Amino acid sequence: MRKLLFFIPFALFIGLSMFLFSGLFSDPRQHGSALVQRQLPQFQLPDLMQPEKRWTADELKGEPYFLNVWGTWCPTCNAELAFLTQLRQQGVRIVGLYYVQPLDAAFGETFDLKALQQDVQQKLAEQGDPYQFNLLDEHRTLIFDLGVSGAPETFLVDADGVIRAHHVGDINPQNWSALAEAYQQLVRK
Amino acid sequence: MRIVMLLLCFFATLPTLAAEEILPFADPKQQALFRELTHELRCPKCQNQNIADSNAVVAVDMRKKTYELVQQGQDKTQVIEYMKLRYGDFVHYQPPLQLSTIWLWLLPALLVLGMGLYVLRKNNQQQMLVNDDVSSELDAELQAMIDEVAVKASAGDKPV
Repeated sequence: MRKLLFFIPFALFIGLSMFLFSGLFSDPRQHGSALVQRQLPQFQLPDLMQPEKRWTADELKGEPYFLNVWGTWCPTCNAELAFLTQLRQQGVRIVGLYYVQPLDAAFGETFDLKALQQDVQQKLAEQGDPYQFNLLDEHRTLIFDLGVSGAPETFLVDADGVIRAHHVGDINPQNWSALAEAYQQLVRK
Repeated sequence: MRIVMLLLCFFATLPTLAAEEILPFADPKQQALFRELTHELRCPKCQNQNIADSNAVVAVDMRKKTYELVQQGQDKTQVIEYMKLRYGDFVHYQPPLQLSTIWLWLLPALLVLGMGLYVLRKNNQQQMLVNDDVSSELDAELQAMIDEVAVKASAGDKPV
């Protein structure tokens, strides 16, 4: 019995080591989303290419889709365009949510829709166009309501407009399988 | 010449001061609340910076939102709830009391309790040792001395 007591500090040490060791391989950017299993927030945002057209959350309902937050200024987003385009060719529905970076009026920066449209068109022509259409979030209101901390981030939304997954970082062939499974499940319903 | 150089150094730093955002507050209480909130809310993008400290886009947006909400007269818990609804519990430096986080409070308490019990037991044991061995020896010695004095006294060896 006494000998057993001597092993308690050793057991504590092993336990602590294992806890800290597992921490070495955890991704500090992944910290649970507050949005999963909740309804997509209400919004009214213009279409990037046809600003007269305004999209609302209800209009997106009907079938499951991925909502992909991206911007041409973001290198990782550009890198995932090709793979997302492949997915679109396989029938996956992807809607873009365009992330406009803040402009500094002090440096004479103003929002230029024409230039942005050209920039986006050129980028999509080069890398591939995975999007059904793009929502333009000039003031990052929907982006804020979605708890987006940067780009790229992707939400899986079901036919009823409920968010089923929140993926931080790019989608690539290595991490696609988990999202694919969740998507296929929603499609089969 | 020196004075000119010194003055130049002084004014050269002015533009960096101007780059800070200036947010007007009518009520000093709201200003204090804003300061408190931006120091307690955590930037979701950067590793361990509060939103007052960070200039990531999301931190700037969160500061703006905090300012707006405080100006609307919302109190501290309301603003924190607003942020948590969007960015999760991660966004506040004070973790909520849940089944998964209960260990943050329990573990230190248990540790202190365990240490206290250990020290108490150790002390008791030592006292028992003293009682058992050394003190009985001392008692015997003392008893012997008393006996010796008593014997001498009864022999009529009375002090003057």
